[in-house]
Amino acid sequence: MLSRIKRNINVFSVISVIAALLIVIPMLNILLEVLSPPSAAWVHIRENLLNAYIRNTLLLIGFVAVFSALLGLFSAYVVSRFEFRGRNLLSWMLILPLAMPSYIAAYIYADMFSYTGTIARFMRSANIPLRVNMMNLSGAIFIFTMTLFPYVYMMSRSALSSQSASFSENARLLGANRFRVLSRVVLPLLRPALVAGTLLVVLETLNDYGVVAYYNVRVFSFAIFNAWFSLGDTTAAIRLSGVLMLIVFAIIFIERAIRGKRQYSMHVKGKPVEPKKLRGISAFIVPATLWLIMALAFFIPLAQLFYYASLTFSDVINANFIFLIINSLTLAITATAITVFVALMLANYNRGTKNRFKKGLLKVTNLGYAIPGAVIAIAVMLFVHGIDRTLYPVYRLFNPDTGRLVISSTLIMLTFAFVLRFMAIGYNSIEASYDKVGEKFTEASYSLRAGKLRTLLTVDVPMIKHGLISAAIIVFIDVIKELPLTLILRPTNYNTLASEVFRYAREEMLQESAVPALVLIGVATFAIYYLTHYNKKGVAANVREN
Amino acid sequence: MYVRIESIDFGYTKKQTVLKDISFSMVEGEIVAILGSSGSGKSTLLRLLSGLEIPARGKIEINEETLCSADTFVECEKRHVGMVFQDYALFPHMDVYKNIAFGIRKYPKAQKRQRVMEMLDLINMEEKIHAYPHELSGGQQQRIALARALAPSPDILLLDEPFSNLDADLKMRIRHELRTIMKKSGMTSIFVTHDYDDAKDIADRIVYLENGRIAYEENVRHQ
Ligand SMILES: Nc1ncnc2c1ncn2[C@@H]1O[C@H](COP(=O)(O)OP(=O)(O)O)[C@@H](O)[C@H]1O
Ligand SMILES: [Mg+2]
Repeated sequence: MLSRIKRNINVFSVISVIAALLIVIPMLNILLEVLSPPSAAWVHIRENLLNAYIRNTLLLIGFVAVFSALLGLFSAYVVSRFEFRGRNLLSWMLILPLAMPSYIAAYIYADMFSYTGTIARFMRSANIPLRVNMMNLSGAIFIFTMTLFPYVYMMSRSALSSQSASFSENARLLGANRFRVLSRVVLPLLRPALVAGTLLVVLETLNDYGVVAYYNVRVFSFAIFNAWFSLGDTTAAIRLSGVLMLIVFAIIFIERAIRGKRQYSMHVKGKPVEPKKLRGISAFIVPATLWLIMALAFFIPLAQLFYYASLTFSDVINANFIFLIINSLTLAITATAITVFVALMLANYNRGTKNRFKKGLLKVTNLGYAIPGAVIAIAVMLFVHGIDRTLYPVYRLFNPDTGRLVISSTLIMLTFAFVLRFMAIGYNSIEASYDKVGEKFTEASYSLRAGKLRTLLTVDVPMIKHGLISAAIIVFIDVIKELPLTLILRPTNYNTLASEVFRYAREEMLQESAVPALVLIGVATFAIYYLTHYNKKGVAANVREN
Repeated sequence: MYVRIESIDFGYTKKQTVLKDISFSMVEGEIVAILGSSGSGKSTLLRLLSGLEIPARGKIEINEETLCSADTFVECEKRHVGMVFQDYALFPHMDVYKNIAFGIRKYPKAQKRQRVMEMLDLINMEEKIHAYPHELSGGQQQRIALARALAPSPDILLLDEPFSNLDADLKMRIRHELRTIMKKSGMTSIFVTHDYDDAKDIADRIVYLENGRIAYEENVRHQ
């Protein structure tokens, strides 16, 4: 029926479909390129190196997944179920390690444990005959666990705090003891959040390039960069990307299978579980453990950075440095604004739909987050180069001396890649707020003869304002920390805080990297502080719960 | 006939049938109650009339305008249909004035204010003009929702279980009040309920809905 099709064409659907196409085409491109004839380098990689890449990658993500799940779950459980001194402070501070980019933690820890480093010197002077080498697989596992476990912590904590006390109380009334309540009720109800948080950790680990490059851990993103830059072999890089994408899809598939179909998020009204006061020795040990985690994940590297910054700030801070900050902020703000805008369009397009086509479209556009930066970078680069090639005759019309790569040499390419990669984060936050608000207000607006755009601006956006703000902040933090995309796709001589930190570290100028690293961490810390404290001020108070 | 509904079929999915062969008509100013148990498809019928869902088959005509037929479909925001939602759906970030004025944005300012005051006068709540929805009781919220739906002078007013969120005491009082307001405004109205007493006290005619079909109709009052 024509009227049905016409009804489906509006600003949301047009933008959504274009966005989806822009995301799908580069990805399909990669998968198609895998079919092109193999190069000599690829044959070499496949015969001699591929097995090691696969083994290292699986070991890395396996251990990181287990450790961060344990750490995240432990801290979330303690914070939401026990009362102790400093609980409120810890409850948001445990998110802070996310403000510490993994690669910065990696440089600092490697340095502290190196022969001349703070910790190694301390150990020698204390006559402890212990030598720790960070720069290997175990070191990388430690770094990723410490900097990424907050994903598990956040997800588990919010699941725990929304778990109504009535579940546990009922279980206890039915005669279950504390341990049984934990193992049969609390943990199973927590499983989806735990699995989702762990999945995020795994995806972030696969995405990383800074840590594995510095520690020389031969995993996929390392291999892809290596093939692309050192060997200059596009085909090999693309094939490696193809294999990595298969691994990622397998992981997502496993996650779906583990999460299962059962519904866990049933809305049961009731008060949350009352935290229990810790007594005796545990009142000391439990908080101490959490503070130790915080120290390892955040404060120790931070202290070392402050020390280095105090040595170098007078050399590092100059006009160039100001430009660096402005570059980073402008880029991050632009990318964030576009991402949140497109995510909002997608969310509107998909609201309350049962349409298979729309749902499929959405799944595809949200895949970006699962795909490691190195792969996205290569996909975007091939795609934009393709556009430049096609448009070359047009460029010539305007400027006969034009170079071949016009769009490719601008920030458009990098911004596009950011949008592609972080879309899912923005989308999920917006969708969650839409779910909470429901559709009745939008429908009421339509029934009062307000059009799509007016409804969006005067009803939907004000009602999901907080979802939009959190979406923006989370995307912003991710963009400003981002490394692999930035390294591959930035225009020549364009630097951001992240790329500058990476360069200093690469050139063994760790002390000089401290100031840009601290600015980066500072911005991210501020954003996290805002995010965790803004929502508490009773903003949702006037949304009546029905 | 002012309202004419002919052989409407509808299901939320292709396989499902929620409403089957629904036909009835109304004269101008009439109040019809749709009475049926929970899940019988009452809310769905209102969603079809307001344009929030598209019927699989059938025709809807209100005030000589075809809103829906085999080859036309007028979208919700283009229909002159007022709706009072089951839980009122007052915009929580707007005060009473802004809520009521929402549907008459195109009126000149002075006229808009006058219309809002008229509505507040009708529901007897002038003093609450700057209150926010969360500061109002359930009964007050319901009356604001009614005023908001009436302000743009729709061709027809739809009310979904207008009493379901009120306690029994209040309900008795408001039932008569609601009929008075509706009759005073001369509005053609359809309201949905699962309670026979509601239907009997307010409506001119009751349409019984059972499993998505009209079982029978009963005249309660002679006009
Ligand atoms: N959004 C929806 N998707 C699928 N089925 C629905 C939806 N809304 C209602 N239904 C189904 O349609 C039937 C009628 O629902 P509804 O019109 O809400 O009934 P009532 O208002 O009379 O209680 C029910 O069986 C219900 O399960
Ligand atoms: Mg209903």
